[in-house]
Amino acid sequence: MRKLIRRLRYLTRRRGFEAELAEEMEFHRALKAQELGAGGGMGNMTLAREEAREVWLAPWLESFWRDLVFGVRMLRRQPGFTLLALLALGSTVGINTSLFTVFNAVALRPWPVKDPSRVVNMFHIVAADAGRNRPAGTAGFSIAESRYLSEHARTLSGVIAMRGAGPLKLDGTPVSFVFHVSGGYFSTLGVGMERGRGFLAEEDRAGAPEAVAVIGHALWQNRMGGDPQIIGRRIRLENVPFTVVGVTPPDFVGTWTDKPLTTDVWIPLASMALLRPNDPSVMPFLTSPDYCCSQMAGRLAPGASRQQAQAEVSLLLKQFSAGASDSRPVLLTGTAMLANPGFKRKATSLLVLMFLAVTLVLLLACANIGNLLLARAAARRQEIAVRLSLGAGRMRLIRQLLVESMTLAVTAAGFGLLTAFWLPGLVVRQLTDSVVPRLAPDWNVLFYTTALAALSCMAFGLAPALHATRGEVAGALKNQARLPSVRLSLRGVLLAAQVAISVMLLAGAGLLLRGVQLARKLDPGFDFRGVRVISMDLPADAYSGPRMGAFTRALTDGLRSVATLPPWGLAGDAPLSNGRTYTSFRMPGEEASHDRMVAFHAVTSGYFDVLRIPVVAGRNLRSEDSGGLVTLINETAAKRYWPNGAVGQILVAGTERREIVGVVRDAATTSLGQVEPTLYWPIEGRWTPVVLVRSGTAATAQKIEAVVKQIEPRAEVKTAPLEQNFESAVQPAVIGAGIAGALGALALLLASVGMSGVFGYAVRQRTREIGIRMALGAQPREVVWLVIGSSLRALGAGLAAGVAGAVGISRLIAHQFYGVDPLDAAAYAAVLLLLAAAATVATAGPARRATRLDAVAALRWD
Amino acid sequence: MGETNRSQELLPGTLDLLILKVLARAPMHGYGIAQRLKENSDEVLQVGESSLYPALQRLLLNGWVNAEWGASENNRRARYYTLTAAGRKQLTSEREDFDRMIAAIQKVLQTA
Repeated sequence: MRKLIRRLRYLTRRRGFEAELAEEMEFHRALKAQELGAGGGMGNMTLAREEAREVWLAPWLESFWRDLVFGVRMLRRQPGFTLLALLALGSTVGINTSLFTVFNAVALRPWPVKDPSRVVNMFHIVAADAGRNRPAGTAGFSIAESRYLSEHARTLSGVIAMRGAGPLKLDGTPVSFVFHVSGGYFSTLGVGMERGRGFLAEEDRAGAPEAVAVIGHALWQNRMGGDPQIIGRRIRLENVPFTVVGVTPPDFVGTWTDKPLTTDVWIPLASMALLRPNDPSVMPFLTSPDYCCSQMAGRLAPGASRQQAQAEVSLLLKQFSAGASDSRPVLLTGTAMLANPGFKRKATSLLVLMFLAVTLVLLLACANIGNLLLARAAARRQEIAVRLSLGAGRMRLIRQLLVESMTLAVTAAGFGLLTAFWLPGLVVRQLTDSVVPRLAPDWNVLFYTTALAALSCMAFGLAPALHATRGEVAGALKNQARLPSVRLSLRGVLLAAQVAISVMLLAGAGLLLRGVQLARKLDPGFDFRGVRVISMDLPADAYSGPRMGAFTRALTDGLRSVATLPPWGLAGDAPLSNGRTYTSFRMPGEEASHDRMVAFHAVTSGYFDVLRIPVVAGRNLRSEDSGGLVTLINETAAKRYWPNGAVGQILVAGTERREIVGVVRDAATTSLGQVEPTLYWPIEGRWTPVVLVRSGTAATAQKIEAVVKQIEPRAEVKTAPLEQNFESAVQPAVIGAGIAGALGALALLLASVGMSGVFGYAVRQRTREIGIRMALGAQPREVVWLVIGSSLRALGAGLAAGVAGAVGISRLIAHQFYGVDPLDAAAYAAVLLLLAAAATVATAGPARRATRLDAVAALRWD
Repeated sequence: MGETNRSQELLPGTLDLLILKVLARAPMHGYGIAQRLKENSDEVLQVGESSLYPALQRLLLNGWVNAEWGASENNRRARYYTLTAAGRKQLTSEREDFDRMIAAIQKVLQTA
């Protein structure tokens, strides 16, 4: 290696080296002449110098160096071509590298915990949905189960339970994401704390909670100004004081897998009792095995395998529930960071789609540059023929041409790497407001870009190099511009590839745009327009458990007493809000292992009036149902589980038996897309209610706010249109369309430049022929046709391939985004029109040049 | 090239060893090295430029010697070669190899 560096230093400072050698030998000669006197025999100095010089040169290095210098010189001589190629390649490599940087940061960067491969997630498997080939759902464990496991499991060196507490007020300012964790959380994960320590086991004892907290690095920096005396400081969560005992390192953002991905504050599970002192369900939640569900993870004990641990955990849980019918199977997965298998699948397929898109753009750029190189190689045919006829080896020439391509590729990779330093951060900041762990390129990215450059160099450089050095010396020397005879030329293939790729990308973008349009028009099954959502923020320490139930009842009565209210209803969550609530149910007499996952919403009867969801069978909820054991179900649930009539049937959810009193029409109240089986229960005291009201006027909102304030003066009330929820549900498709649109535009631009280049070259190559034809009286129209016609087949083939590819890709897209129809004729038509327009623009210049040729001058052209 | 014949009769690689050995005593310029070799071998080893300079470049390339310009005895600019640490190590190991080789040759010559 050092030797190579010394050789390279020699190459770069060659002149200096040689001058030194010459001077040195001259000195030698002078002394020797002195010694021998005149006429003494002298050696051949020049030969000696040559031999001394050769020591430095490894032959391959020497010729590579020459090629490199030559290549750079050639590129500099054609600044237009070089600039174009660098722009195309640089931007596409940049986009590619940027995406990889994100992927690297999210998925490849090691999790900042000790030995992450030994951390496992634990789930209960919930039985697969009968009759459907949906994968089995997963569920967490009860805290009691986790404590039992933590005490008894020998294959696990640590067990942790965690549960999001949601956004809470920190020091009076709203929204800090708080995460409840078991006492062993930090020590089991092995998080090296930035300041202070993690939790101790004794700080998380049910019934004897300690008010301690660990705060995230970002929160510490942004909200507390990086206070060096942070340890021991008091913070208030919902008016309950906690003492900060530790700060996490900057790259540990927590283990919460939903939005937001960063946790601000961690507190022990037991401290739930401090936050909700009046909630009688806290103690059972912390101690009873019947209260599900917390996320679970564990660290494998040294020497234990995942299978062993899974077997032991299953056995222990069976012992724990001792005889109870609940013996759901247990699953241990190795994906510690993305705790939910479903989440990972979704994220991965989205990334695959994006990689597909950016790779297509890169290929497009390669095809483009390949074509330009091909045209250039044709112009250099004479030079190459001379070299071949003088005895240059074909391999040698190919190598030289490849070195030129490589120079381009490496320079472009440099640009790409620079891009990757700022682009990912910029885009991610646009997309989310959550902090993303450092997004700078690292060695992985460097390696990826280098490989990308090498591959793309091969992709665009090799074919033209092979093509250019094909025999035919005599013909080339005579400079007979060969009349185009073989039509399936490399150039045609490259042109077709460009067209095909731009069709695919544009079609993808078009489908997404149309998807957004359609999604806005599609009927989600309920009428969200003109509905206001009035949400309230109650002091959490005062309202929990039965007090929330009382509040809900008081609110219902209060609203009912306001005479002039338009239709209104209460719900535990507004339709399409971020949080999704699921429950599981079984038929009476079935074992718990038959539980099926369904979506559910806690509502009042007015909910269906406000949203205009009709009851299709049975009856709506009644006011006397409030908190009672009845339920409504939607049509999908009715069809799937009670095909012979649902009304009057009983279902068991948890330990409660509920009677189905009615069936409502399907409505996408949980998430856009296919409607899931859904239950609607009478609202009780488990959630802070939101009020839905069908009115656009501020006066109505004020009336409702007045009712809320009357019951609880400390409440903070917010009003927002329901359209907002709908918009944010469509948001992913909008962003997707934006990204795809940008890529599509880039693709279109590149393809246009490529087409223009190909046609321009055709005109140049056939100038003499065109001149003859024009001298013989050909019309401009015929000349234009002559130029374009030769490429029409390539264009057609490209279009066909592109549309076929697009249909394939669009199925993938339709899977990901709501509202996308893979065979949307309008989208395809628009793409074809766009491409036709681009092709027209691209051919206009060359065509005009062809028709304006001076016939006489053209005949003299060579 | 008559005068270089002798040096070409050296065993291959021996010249490098001899140069390293000479430089181990003190830094020296190319001519000086040739002189020293001649003197120390009672005029048997007369190393010509066409062997000496390639050998010196080889040693430079391998990082066994450094070259620096300095003033010569008669105040001319001359390029002085110095042994590096790597060169010193190389000298020891080459010396051992050489000794072993000579011993082996002698053994063959005596017994065969």
